[in-house]
Amino acid sequence: MNVVFAVKQYISKMIEDSGPGMKVLLMDKETTGIVSMVYTQSEILQKEVYLFERIDSQNREIMKHLKAICFLRPTKENVDYLIQELRRPKYSIYFIYLSNVISKSDVKSLAEADEQEVVAEVQEFYGDYIAVNPHLFSLNILGCCQGRNWDPAQLSRTTQGLTALLLSLKKCPMIRYQLSSEAAKRLGECVKQVITKEYELFEFRRTEVPPLLLILDRCDDAITPLLNQWTYQAMVHELLGINNNRIDLSRVPGISKDLREVVLSAENDEFYANNMYLNFAEIGSNIKNLMEDFQRKKPKEQQKLESIADMKAFVENYPQFKKMSGTVSKHVTVVGELSRLVSERNLLEVSEVEQELACQNDHSSALQNVKRLLQNPRVTEFDAARLVMLYALHYERHSSNSLPGLMMDLRNKGVSEKYRKLVSAVVEYGGKRVRGSDLFSPKDAVAITKQFLKGLKGVENVYTQHQPFLHDTLDHLIKGKLKENLYPYLGPSTLRDRLTPR
Amino acid sequence: MASLDDPGEVREGFLCPLCLKDLQSFYQLQSHYEEEHSGEDRDVKGQIKSLVQKAKKAKNRLLKREGDDRAESGTQGYESFSYGGVDPYMWEPQELGAVRSHLSDFKKHRAARIDHYVVEVNKLIIRLEKLTAFDRTNTESAKIRAIEKSVVPWVNDQDVPFCPDCGNKFNIRNRRHHCRLCGSIMCKKCMELISLPLANKLTSASKDSLSTHTSPSQSPNSVHGSRRGSISSMSSVSSVLDEKDDDRIRCCTHCKDTLLKREQQIDEKEHTPDIVKLYEKLRLCMEKVDQKAPEYIRMAASLNAGETTYSLEHASDLRVEVQKVYELIDALSKKILTLGLNQDPPPHPNTLRLQRMIRYSATLFVQEKLLGLMSLPTKEQFEELKKKRKQEMERKRILERQAALEAQRRLEERRSDLASRAANGEVVSLRGGPAPLRKAEGWLPLSGSQGQGEDSDPLLQQIHNITSFIRQAKAAGRTDEVRTLQENLRQLQDEYDQQQTEKAIEMSRKQAEEEDLQREQLQMLREREWEREREQFQAASLHTRTRSLDFREIRSFHLEPGREPRTHFAHVLDLGSSPAQSSAAPKSPSPSSALEPISVWSGPQALGQEFFPQSTMSQQNEVPSLNLFDEEDLSSPTAEGTTSPLAAEPSFGPSAHILKEYNPFEEEEAVGNPFTNPDSPAPNPFEEEDEHPHQRPSSPPVPGNPFEEATCTNPFEMDSDSGPESEEPIEEELLLQQIDNIKAYIFDAKQCGRLDEVEVLTENLRELKRTLAKQKGGTD
Repeated sequence: MNVVFAVKQYISKMIEDSGPGMKVLLMDKETTGIVSMVYTQSEILQKEVYLFERIDSQNREIMKHLKAICFLRPTKENVDYLIQELRRPKYSIYFIYLSNVISKSDVKSLAEADEQEVVAEVQEFYGDYIAVNPHLFSLNILGCCQGRNWDPAQLSRTTQGLTALLLSLKKCPMIRYQLSSEAAKRLGECVKQVITKEYELFEFRRTEVPPLLLILDRCDDAITPLLNQWTYQAMVHELLGINNNRIDLSRVPGISKDLREVVLSAENDEFYANNMYLNFAEIGSNIKNLMEDFQRKKPKEQQKLESIADMKAFVENYPQFKKMSGTVSKHVTVVGELSRLVSERNLLEVSEVEQELACQNDHSSALQNVKRLLQNPRVTEFDAARLVMLYALHYERHSSNSLPGLMMDLRNKGVSEKYRKLVSAVVEYGGKRVRGSDLFSPKDAVAITKQFLKGLKGVENVYTQHQPFLHDTLDHLIKGKLKENLYPYLGPSTLRDRLTPR
Repeated sequence: MASLDDPGEVREGFLCPLCLKDLQSFYQLQSHYEEEHSGEDRDVKGQIKSLVQKAKKAKNRLLKREGDDRAESGTQGYESFSYGGVDPYMWEPQELGAVRSHLSDFKKHRAARIDHYVVEVNKLIIRLEKLTAFDRTNTESAKIRAIEKSVVPWVNDQDVPFCPDCGNKFNIRNRRHHCRLCGSIMCKKCMELISLPLANKLTSASKDSLSTHTSPSQSPNSVHGSRRGSISSMSSVSSVLDEKDDDRIRCCTHCKDTLLKREQQIDEKEHTPDIVKLYEKLRLCMEKVDQKAPEYIRMAASLNAGETTYSLEHASDLRVEVQKVYELIDALSKKILTLGLNQDPPPHPNTLRLQRMIRYSATLFVQEKLLGLMSLPTKEQFEELKKKRKQEMERKRILERQAALEAQRRLEERRSDLASRAANGEVVSLRGGPAPLRKAEGWLPLSGSQGQGEDSDPLLQQIHNITSFIRQAKAAGRTDEVRTLQENLRQLQDEYDQQQTEKAIEMSRKQAEEEDLQREQLQMLREREWEREREQFQAASLHTRTRSLDFREIRSFHLEPGREPRTHFAHVLDLGSSPAQSSAAPKSPSPSSALEPISVWSGPQALGQEFFPQSTMSQQNEVPSLNLFDEEDLSSPTAEGTTSPLAAEPSFGPSAHILKEYNPFEEEEAVGNPFTNPDSPAPNPFEEEDEHPHQRPSSPPVPGNPFEEATCTNPFEMDSDSGPESEEPIEEELLLQQIDNIKAYIFDAKQCGRLDEVEVLTENLRELKRTLAKQKGGTD
């Protein structure tokens, strides 16, 4: 179940099937992102794909010596663009791949536009999501809900993304959802609807344990995203922002031009692949190793290249050196910026208090620490607001809740209205009333003993004591202990019954 | 695909990593690097330094709270973590995701549309052909009109009051015009004209799809293009005077459109742009490189190792060839890059982008592949390498031979030690203890003289003992013991098999050597010399090949010396030389001689001869020296060349390999034959035996509880349990069994067509038979 590999296989298949010759890859805005997450430019160049074009680009020239591989989402606009394209074909032959289910009528209108018989292939390849890591994908949707209800457009996009995911992994799952969330149920129903409708597509080899699609709502755990993280990828994402593996470094003071935007992809950056889940301290030492390695491999500047052999060695090592130099300077810059931000924003101290708010139940100490940090001028308004949000979520119903006082402190600190509003918003979003489960005070005996034992052992690392609620949920799921009254199955719990065509 | 969106950023070529200056070649880059950057303390370095400090600081801060164990896990993580514990390579293999094809649907819909379209186009072209079939210029306009009207019925003027295209009303000024191709009506403005060359082109192209252009239609584009540009002005002038167009055919925009599309298709079919031609050449070159480069790398690697498999000249030729292809790739891609750059309307940016990308990928290709091309040694270097390798081989050979001899000597010592011990009655005195045990088992016959007892392998005794223990243990339900014992048994069996093979090899080798000796006596010195040279050559060449660990090579090498002398032996027999005949005579009664006339020479049974001179000596042909090892040791340096590989290889390499070869069969039959199961490599039991013989008297086994004894890891402590006098007949039995087994293997191997195995097995069979015969002779 490697999503990166799944998409990559689709793309490779497309290119392979088009045979030899110069090729152009015709994409839309979204598929461009999808492809760029799994393939590097040089990789795809080696497969004779030399041009990348947007189907909506007006500035395309007629190049009949190119084969076109179209990888498009089957949206209305794309179909229209494609119809226009086929009426006046710019390339010699078209291989059309759609990232999701296309309607029969759309196929018909495409066929009728292809008067010159340039289309050689029309297929659905379900790479309709952004594969971030082998086990993680995204649909890059910002704001999928209005209030507690789905934005209809986003609901349909999410459904398409999920069904494409299932198809690309060849899984026909049972669906469970979080009972407390209406949105989760709605999405589950939509996915189920598609599975029922396209039952022919979902005819996969049955496995002994049927795959499971568990739909969760973030409102069940509003805490985790509010915490500062200390692993490499998470830190980059939190502090610098990752957008389709790209990191914008243009705000970094004194950044050189070619490092304004860097790509961090575990697919072709070994160092990143090995370190993305390690914590900041470990990265520090690893990056040092990397640099030592680099120093060793670096051609010796002082050493004169005297003999032919020297020169040969230089030339032979050169590309490797070049590649390494790129990797080194990239990671050094990124880690350097991270460490600058950490000290500038006083994040170590902030994080400690955040963890305390998330994991411990000592109200007075927590309050005191939050108050102290709010006075600290180095703590940004964003971090300050987050601290108060965490406090508000945890001690929402505490008898001596002093949220109003903290809000005053925020105002005094000069935190803008925009951030201050978030405090009440987050409580409304993920407060006790909404949560299906209790994040802070475990109810069952096992969890209590666990916490007790944890308390006895002491904390290993104050910055990483918090464990996301998701961890528990998945743990329960794997052990078969996930409660059906909180996470019910959608429809009858055996899938077979639902899948038989009526 | 970092810069998928803006490939303009992509820079290619030999860029300096520090200043990004593009240098045209490796050498320029190199010299540039040397000149510009040799002294600089690099920015990167400085940056790195400050970062290390920062990272360290941060780390320390974190570590303060974490404790040391975290740090350790961190350093481990650098090595072992991939995806932070998520290693997708550990996941189950993943096939291509689901796909669904709409092609057939698509084609169905398209076919319907295309049929319509094609019919339409063909109709127009047929009409066009009719319209151009006569000489227009020399025909009266009235007649033309008549013909034109006959081609397609014209629409009635009265039916069309307005121009269907622009909607203008027809009147005296704005007259109706008929399309000659479809008969419809349009106004002057909307009317289009088709020039004769274009018409010709369209009709001729559809007539024969091969479409060899005739000269008038060679440049229809330009003619047609220029006319088109002036259509309006021309027609406006002419229209006033005369409506007749000599060389043009009136038609409506729709028909014209259709025909133009058709023209475009024809053009595309024939026209291949320069870039395509160049690109095809480029791809051909790349394919060539993909073909040749691995071959060259193989050669270069071999040559650099000093091997003589490939010739240096050939390799350097190939190198030059490959390099030329690289140059060609470079040149071609450069040409593609600059294609059309100097044209007046500069090419479309996308064309340029395409060219840049092709060049970039070509550069990547060259960089990746060319740098993998290792250099060749120069002639002098090569000679040196060869010499070095030869020396090394020689040294290895000597070392191996020494080791072989050493091992042999040790083996002998041990055996004689054992023999003497047996003779001293050490074992006999111990026999009182285990006797009841054996009796209880009742399967070990107590017969045979002590002298013959020595003859049998101590390993076999051991094996028998252990099997009996296993049986007892099983009977007693001690599964733990059974398991341990079985493990021991297997090890023993391995060892025994190995020993047998070694013995077999040793014997065949000696046989060959003896034959050599024999030959020496019989043949002229010159002939012998020639023979030696030949063998030496053979041995040497084979020896180099054994480096590859190819089993077949080794075996053929191992068998070679045996086979080779055989022919000579036959030759010798032909000559009727007396020593050969006399030596053959005593052997004839042995059972093996019928199958294996060559076993004449196995009389001296190399190893056996050493241990039991008294029993075998009488039968021996006296000619071969009794102690072959002495012979070998004393052999002259010239002889060493021939013997050393023989001595070295068979005792190590082939035996192990042959054992491996056995495996599948042995395991198949393991149930039936517990004595041949070389499953796991046995620890050398002889060494253990060496350590323990003195303990034996002090640790007599407790007869009442054999299981405790059995669990001990050293099976040789049990050695004392079995009386040596019982061994001889068992071994005979075993040998027979073994022979049967091997026969079965040979049959099986033949059935499967594994000829090399058959060979090895036959060799083994011979060996066993010989041993059996000898033993029988001994008991008799």
